[in-house]
Amino acid sequence: MYKKLFLTLAGAAALLLGAACTDITTEPKVGEAGGTAFDRPEAYREFLAKLYAGLAVSGQQGPAGMGDIALIDEGFSQYVRGWWQLQTIPTDEAVIGWGDESLPELNTMAWGSANRFIQAFYYRIFFQIALANEFLRETSDAALATRDVSAQLRADIEQYRAEARFLRALSYWHGIDLFGNIPLVRETDNLGVRPPDQSTRAEIFSFIVEELNAIRSTLPAVGAAQYGRADQGALLMLLAKVHMNAEAYGLGAQYAQARMALEQVIGSGAYQLAPEYMRNFLADNHTSPEIIFPIPSDGMRTRSYGGTTYLVQAAIGGTMPRDDYGVGGNCCWGGLRTTQQMVALFGGEGGPDVRNSFYYTTGHTEEVTALGTFTSGYAAPKYRNVTSTGEPGSNLEFPDTDFPMYRLADAYLMYAEVVLRDGGGDPALALQYVNWLRERAYGNTNGNITAEELTLELVLAERARELFWEGHRRTDLIRYGLFTGSEYLWAFKGGAVAGQAVSDHLKLYPIPASEMLANPNLTQNPGY
Amino acid sequence: MAGGRQLLLTLLGVLLGATTLVAQGPTGTVTGRVIDGATLQPLEGVTVTIAERGALTRADGRYLIVGVPAGPQTLRARVIGYAEASLSVVVQADQTLTVDVVLSAQALELQDLVVIGYGERRQRDMTGVVQSVTSSEFNTGRVISPEELIQGKVAGLQVIDTGEPGGGISIRIRGGTSVNASNEPLIVIDGVPMPTANRQSGNGGLSAGRNPFAFVNPEDIESITVLKDAAAAAIYGANAANGVLIITTKRGSPQAPRFSYSSSASASSIVRGPNMLNAQQFRDVVAEHAPNRVSMLGDSQTDWQDAVLRTGAGQEHALVMAGARDNMTYRASLGYLGQRGIIRGSMTERISGSLNYSHYFLDQRLNLRANLRGARTHDDFTPGGGLGTATVYDPTQPIRTESGYYEREGVALTPANPVAELAQGSIDGTTTRGVGSLELAYQTPFLEGTTATLRLARDVARSERLTIMPPEMFWQQQQGERAGYWGRSRPRETSSMIDTYVNHERRFGLGSSFDATGGYSYSIADGEYPFSERFGTVNPEPVEEVERFGGRETKLASFFGRTNITLNDRYLVTLSVRRDGSSRFGPANQWGTFPAAAVAWRLSEEPFLPLPATVSDLKLRASWGINGNQAIGDYLWAPVYQPGDEFTQVQFGEEFVRTIRPSAVDPNIRWEETTSYNFGIDLGVFDDRITGSAEYYLKNTDDLLFVVPVAAGLYVSNTVLTNIGSVRNQGFEVTLNARVLDGSRGGLGWTAGLNAATNRNELIAVNPVAGGSEQILTGGIAGGVGSMIQVLQPGHPVNSFFVYRHRRAGDGRPIFSDQLLDMYEDINGDGIINQNDRVPFRNPAPTWMFGHTSRFDYRHIDLGFTLRAHLGNWVYNNIASSQGYYNRLNEQGGPYNLHASVLESGFQTAQFFSDYYVEDASFLRMDNITLGYTFPRLRGQREIRVSGTVQNAFTLTGYSGVDPEAGLLGIDNNIYPRSRTFTAGVNVNF
Repeated sequence: MYKKLFLTLAGAAALLLGAACTDITTEPKVGEAGGTAFDRPEAYREFLAKLYAGLAVSGQQGPAGMGDIALIDEGFSQYVRGWWQLQTIPTDEAVIGWGDESLPELNTMAWGSANRFIQAFYYRIFFQIALANEFLRETSDAALATRDVSAQLRADIEQYRAEARFLRALSYWHGIDLFGNIPLVRETDNLGVRPPDQSTRAEIFSFIVEELNAIRSTLPAVGAAQYGRADQGALLMLLAKVHMNAEAYGLGAQYAQARMALEQVIGSGAYQLAPEYMRNFLADNHTSPEIIFPIPSDGMRTRSYGGTTYLVQAAIGGTMPRDDYGVGGNCCWGGLRTTQQMVALFGGEGGPDVRNSFYYTTGHTEEVTALGTFTSGYAAPKYRNVTSTGEPGSNLEFPDTDFPMYRLADAYLMYAEVVLRDGGGDPALALQYVNWLRERAYGNTNGNITAEELTLELVLAERARELFWEGHRRTDLIRYGLFTGSEYLWAFKGGAVAGQAVSDHLKLYPIPASEMLANPNLTQNPGY
Repeated sequence: MAGGRQLLLTLLGVLLGATTLVAQGPTGTVTGRVIDGATLQPLEGVTVTIAERGALTRADGRYLIVGVPAGPQTLRARVIGYAEASLSVVVQADQTLTVDVVLSAQALELQDLVVIGYGERRQRDMTGVVQSVTSSEFNTGRVISPEELIQGKVAGLQVIDTGEPGGGISIRIRGGTSVNASNEPLIVIDGVPMPTANRQSGNGGLSAGRNPFAFVNPEDIESITVLKDAAAAAIYGANAANGVLIITTKRGSPQAPRFSYSSSASASSIVRGPNMLNAQQFRDVVAEHAPNRVSMLGDSQTDWQDAVLRTGAGQEHALVMAGARDNMTYRASLGYLGQRGIIRGSMTERISGSLNYSHYFLDQRLNLRANLRGARTHDDFTPGGGLGTATVYDPTQPIRTESGYYEREGVALTPANPVAELAQGSIDGTTTRGVGSLELAYQTPFLEGTTATLRLARDVARSERLTIMPPEMFWQQQQGERAGYWGRSRPRETSSMIDTYVNHERRFGLGSSFDATGGYSYSIADGEYPFSERFGTVNPEPVEEVERFGGRETKLASFFGRTNITLNDRYLVTLSVRRDGSSRFGPANQWGTFPAAAVAWRLSEEPFLPLPATVSDLKLRASWGINGNQAIGDYLWAPVYQPGDEFTQVQFGEEFVRTIRPSAVDPNIRWEETTSYNFGIDLGVFDDRITGSAEYYLKNTDDLLFVVPVAAGLYVSNTVLTNIGSVRNQGFEVTLNARVLDGSRGGLGWTAGLNAATNRNELIAVNPVAGGSEQILTGGIAGGVGSMIQVLQPGHPVNSFFVYRHRRAGDGRPIFSDQLLDMYEDINGDGIINQNDRVPFRNPAPTWMFGHTSRFDYRHIDLGFTLRAHLGNWVYNNIASSQGYYNRLNEQGGPYNLHASVLESGFQTAQFFSDYYVEDASFLRMDNITLGYTFPRLRGQREIRVSGTVQNAFTLTGYSGVDPEAGLLGIDNNIYPRSRTFTAGVNVNF
């Protein structure tokens, strides 16, 4: 009888005990909880590093894994690869052989709003913007006041914030250059879940200029930053790029403003031309004195399937000797070549100009007649994973080669162009700058030009020769009015083998279809 | 108290008798005693019926039935746990006939009583859609995982296996309700819910092997019950949106100790592989389409598929000891399974054991049950490309040369010799898993009909997966100094659960009853996923383990209640509610409430309805309910900073800095909810010799947990997991079962079952603001990088194929042209063919599924088979698309073999997104034929049965690829080839 009673009571107790236990909270075991991440003072620097990493890698695991951008292959979503492809593949600088979805349309300018590469890069731009905004919110005075932050760290954070704003401005420039009118989202815009409004290209243009002017003095002096980080040199180059293209954006000529920025970059004396042209594209190009703003890669520490991994690997294939390029194993993707129009700018290959000395022609035709055939068109492996002393990089799949986003040669040619576009400045200096580049290319003064030969057309051609595959070409061609229309044709422009005229609306990419649906406040670019 | 029970039983007996007082004509009386055939003890509570009159036996086993119409009658005696007895008697008017009945115990016969989660119910009284398959109906032959037992047996239940013995299995009950959360049903083994899928491990928990359920020996399973509609599943509110599978294992039976031993051996071989060019055809196309690569060809004739395949072989042994003594029953089993896969180097081996113990204490009021089940599974996987590489490898090259394995040296992006890879590398996984549960059920003495139950369970899985790639492997050689790889992951998961519930049951006169169940459940699961790897060596020392995915912890707390009300045996009502709290949601949204209601009306009992006498049962049912789904990863609501690894560092001057990234989360994610409606009818005719049911259901899932593109700039990502969008599934199901031939008096017996189901799945909306034309691509394929062939688009089934419409020539062949406009239809008419011209077209889910089972018995011989058919399931032939164009010969470092479809299509370049590759994969398959012979009982009651089974005997299909059942997504890309298996087995009972 006692036994029964005991059991009944025990059963009831168990029920009650169980019923009392409704605790279902768990602490995340993945990463650091948002509320405590900044207990570690290093967290601010690591967060800043992610802003730069957003340009260099594709996610939190290298070469791929925990990607920043969804809806597309992670390697395709990498910043440099996205920017480079949208700036290069549709132009005369390159053709690409792969049949990956949406990729051939970049080549033939047949893209639509569902194009996945366009979509991926649009999102990559806004990933950077949203990341910078989040950084600025987490480092606002209000946020810092709630945490224990040393005076030294506060001073560091001042500079970090300026860098974040620079990187945000850089992406905004890429955004308006490619897409025109896009949303302007700042750290102070408390959006909640309401999709942002669309701003005009002009509004964002002004925002970029204001931002760059506002943060300039907080950044290190020209050339003074740690390698890989932004200083006033990078800022001035961006400012110059923005002003330089204002007229093409329909915002009136602002060449003088571009000139002033360029004069400060060049005049600082912080940069010198590397003695050898190719030095800027090798595994040890971080030692080049010419680079103003690089996106660093490292075979052992900074890996992705975009960036220079793509630029090195996609440019080689077939029978090309892999040892020459510092790659092995999983190598040689065999996709990118150049067009006969590029070859013609040098008057053919094998000439005295070293700037096309890297062409690989064995088994390749000069003319591009089939997109899908790697040997149709010369291979142009400009970026290599070998050092200036001929040693391979630290890893045979992922190069050490950094992507030179801005370098001094670009500043020289921009200066020459603004002088010719009545932006003021010294024509003699402009000629001098162009000839320095040509002297380096020829190894002597045989290729030098005269003042009369220094025309806008020459500058454009010189930019193609000097800055080949550095991600400038589409913007340059648009500035010269040659990207669309029939005035200038190249292989597979508009899908025809010899090229054909294309509509002017292609100067802007479409806002991705998925974004149009997710944000009803947006108006699509004309023609799409 | 014993007296009270006696009274109740007598009362019930009287009531049963009372309903038939209207009988007319001369009558007699039948009386007698019912005893247990083994123990010769009287049996209490046995239902004895004759001529629509009935009685329950008393404690002394006696019964008395008066007013039985005179003449020949059939007397039936039945009680749970015993085989029903049926005797022909002749009742004389005004006389008392004494009929004693001997019942023999049998393993809990579940056909009548069905487990429904926290209780059992008579099949006859079911209001929801519940279908139970018992061991005698299970598929036989080589069955490695429990889910295979019921393939083709249940209407609307699709078992999607990989064709690989012991491979992972997916189950869909009435289509998928979700897009990003899991669509797998909840699986409950002996009352213990198995873990649902999470980011780190699949449905059912952890395994370094192929299938987490491989720890359950199919031999140990007594029945599998499928809860299909919301009303039935609602008691498991959390995770019940995709239905529930309740697995009940065998228990000891109230009989003398019994041993049984069963053993089987099987052999299997591939039925159909990918249709690639042979060496000569390959040589010809290379000469024509890649003349500059002719020099790379060899002069052998190698069938690479043949070189990596072999005849699979397996053996299985199970030893069971079961019995009963006094107040306890027990069952212990030991099993061994060894399966050599048809791909060289693939293997599965399992040693399993189970112990089942039940003991009654305190005048049978307290029942203690203990279950202990464990297995150690070892899987050998095939390293490298395996069959995929063999499919595309150059058939003109030899397997070996004088210096060893042939490899295509010095050429970029060339695959390794698959035979060499299989021989040199190794990947193997070992999983040890044990599940134990302890259940105490107490019938309270103070309130009759009340039972309190406490169940404690623990599930522990330890796993290790080891990958070794020695430096001499072709791919490793390419890595230079980093040649050689050693990697090991050692995931561990543990879960613990407590359930307590009280059930009260009360019967009233005239077939009326009431029962109520209320309870509480709490479970906690955690996992760790340490991982280590070394490059440039196969020597593991020193091992440095890192947490690869981050550990996890999941908690679930639930309160539930259910009541069943039956009035006059005609009107049945079930109401249930469950309130679940899950740690997978943020503090504000952790709790969800999931109600359900069902009603049934047994028309056949209505006196006013003049049903023909042949109709023995007719019941209408309707149900409504809401179920939840939380089968997503952990912490997805929580904003965190995710650290970057060593390969995503950023250069700051001389230093490299690791990164942290804020996560893009919607902290307000909450339960995904599915509202279901079900209307059904049950019919039995000819004394239930033919039974059937038909169902219509509608399932609307709202607030889908869906990873959707969000407006740029809102989150630190372009997509976020949020509750948005809705999916609808609706369909019909019909089930028919018949004892076509009775088999009495040594004649031929034939029972047949037929089930048919159709389901229509539609994605109703993704983002309601966006209108209707969103297209989210899914379904990655081989060919190109990041290519996807399916789409999520409102108005179309989830994962519809997303293709260009290929123009066809007069003879039906696809047109090939350099001009895309000549080749594809310009859907939007803009004069350009690009992504905007792709359209949703067909989908991989079958529109109709049919299953037919027949079993014939003739004396000692039995023959059974299962036929299964799918209609309207479409498959994307990815091997054809990725290898079916001539330019493939010029791609990569050396020519790859082509799919024979190229000879028809003539494609020069890849057309990955052409509808040409989306094929109707409807099929009819003879899943299983079994022939058995049971030897006449010898002295000592020994029973021996021998049997032979052919699985996948034949398939009729118009599909041109490897297998019309190409997995869940319907993408046929180097799927494990389905084999035909012959099994011979012997079963001995002592």
